[in-house]
Amino acid sequence: MAASITGLLKPWSPRVFLVRWSRYNPYYLEPEISKEAYSKPESELSAEEKEERQLKTIRPIKAATSGVTSSVFCDPVISKFINMTMQNGDKVLAREILTQTLEDIKRKQVEKYHKAPEGKKEEIECNPYTIFHQALENCKPIVGLASIQKGGKYYQVPIPLSDNRRRFLAMKWMITECRDNKHRRTHMYEKLPRNCWQLL
Amino acid sequence: MALHRLSFRLRQTATYVRSLHTSGCGQQQAAVAVESESETFSVCRAQENDPACQSEKHLGQYYTLPSAHVRTLFPHGLPWRYQQQVKTFNEACMMVRSPALEVISCLKKTDTSKPAVRYLFYGLKGSGKTISLCHAVHFCYTQGWLVLHIPDAHIWVKNCKELLPSSYNTSRFDQPLQATEWLRNFKVTNEHFLSKIKTKQRYVWTKRESTEEGSALGELVDQGITRVKSSSDVVGAVMKELRLQSGQPESNFRLAVAVDGVNALWGRSTIKKEDKSAVDPEELTLVYNLKKLMKNDWTGGAIITTLSQTGSLYTSKSAYLPHELLGEKGFDKMDPFIPVSVPNYSEKEFESCYLYYMDRHWLQHPQSHTEEGKKELVFLSNRNPSMLERICGSL
Repeated sequence: MAASITGLLKPWSPRVFLVRWSRYNPYYLEPEISKEAYSKPESELSAEEKEERQLKTIRPIKAATSGVTSSVFCDPVISKFINMTMQNGDKVLAREILTQTLEDIKRKQVEKYHKAPEGKKEEIECNPYTIFHQALENCKPIVGLASIQKGGKYYQVPIPLSDNRRRFLAMKWMITECRDNKHRRTHMYEKLPRNCWQLL
Repeated sequence: MALHRLSFRLRQTATYVRSLHTSGCGQQQAAVAVESESETFSVCRAQENDPACQSEKHLGQYYTLPSAHVRTLFPHGLPWRYQQQVKTFNEACMMVRSPALEVISCLKKTDTSKPAVRYLFYGLKGSGKTISLCHAVHFCYTQGWLVLHIPDAHIWVKNCKELLPSSYNTSRFDQPLQATEWLRNFKVTNEHFLSKIKTKQRYVWTKRESTEEGSALGELVDQGITRVKSSSDVVGAVMKELRLQSGQPESNFRLAVAVDGVNALWGRSTIKKEDKSAVDPEELTLVYNLKKLMKNDWTGGAIITTLSQTGSLYTSKSAYLPHELLGEKGFDKMDPFIPVSVPNYSEKEFESCYLYYMDRHWLQHPQSHTEEGKKELVFLSNRNPSMLERICGSL
């Protein structure tokens, strides 16, 4: 037992090892996913960035979630949307739905582009990502209501929302709208693009 | 789409003409710009749209199929994703690849007095076997051959909605729906041959209906489309007539039989008889008559086939070689044949495919235009054509 791993344990390592939890000791640092952050040479870094890099060599780092990749095509908004459409942990299906949605939008736009006359071609937006982001932007609320208690009664007061909350509400409303107001046999990847077009 | 390219070419000459009038140093730069433009324009597109004139120097380049040809030749032959691509890009472009070019060069040298040669395209899933078959079929069509194209032999052995006992031979079964659909598409493809070829035999369908000797093939096909019950027998009759007549000196047509998923003919089927026992493909009229065509005892044409694991029944997913998919019986029946391997894209072909998608504005993600994005596409798809197409679909 002398050759056990207790010698390798540091003061900040938890007694019970985290395997799939998301609660970490605040001593752990966030992982850096993109490759560009590390491709900068030493000379171009400012003093703070140099300190951060120094810190990363000493301190432990949280494990990256399985939803993020170092791929150049990784988009945090799209990943969040996929996580929200996911049901029963079926990420494969949720991703499939979203890729089909994006392909649908792109196909429609590219068809329009190729059939349009020369002058109108520049006005047609073919990128499905910009269309999707624009639709979400249009769906975001500006203010939200909060229940404030004053003098024994609760009043619904409009307050400004944080960016995260706005993004969450936009996505939630989009998904519930697609799930509820459609015919039983329409698929999500048919209804989602129709919603996007309505929101633009 | 030809109009669009014509205007592009005129634009090129227009800029060149304009540059001649400018100063000398400007002329040099403009000339270089025009040259690089025409280079990128032609790197992925071949200027030769006729399959007969394509050669090794067009390898990796895309050629356009005229839309009239696509409508008549391929009412049922193209894969679904490719059909959607044709609709989106407003043009049908195929890449000139070496397996198809090899088969086309062999087809050019076919001897009409010798028995028909059998070609078999095989390869991994999604490597382009069906498209190579369609390329060879397009060549046969442009040369004026009669094309007998069965788009997927697997649909004849599975998911049968109506199964009738055959009127001609009681031990066999008929599939009226599939037979009528095939006859309709056959009529669309070979419109001009139907009035020229005459039947050599009298066919009796019922007590009151019969097709006399010497009547046109078109009448036979119409009989099959209108009278659905006897359509499978009509299919058999059509195949027999074409087989007997193709090698004769008085007939001036050559027959090209193209079958996709030929391993279905010797596999198993999921169709069940009324007593829940499985039907052997031998017992289906359509399959029985097609097998007679597959034998190389007739002259004056060629048989081009593809293996397909995707639609096949009771075969493992990793099987792609002829011996595994055809089985013992199938291999013995098909032997001797010319196997043509269809590999994944080479580097040059991948480059060409990438440039084609860029030209058609299909790759919209800003990162996909960079080198990093391209390397990632190579890694994710392993240069497999169908995987690349699916990945690029959402980017």
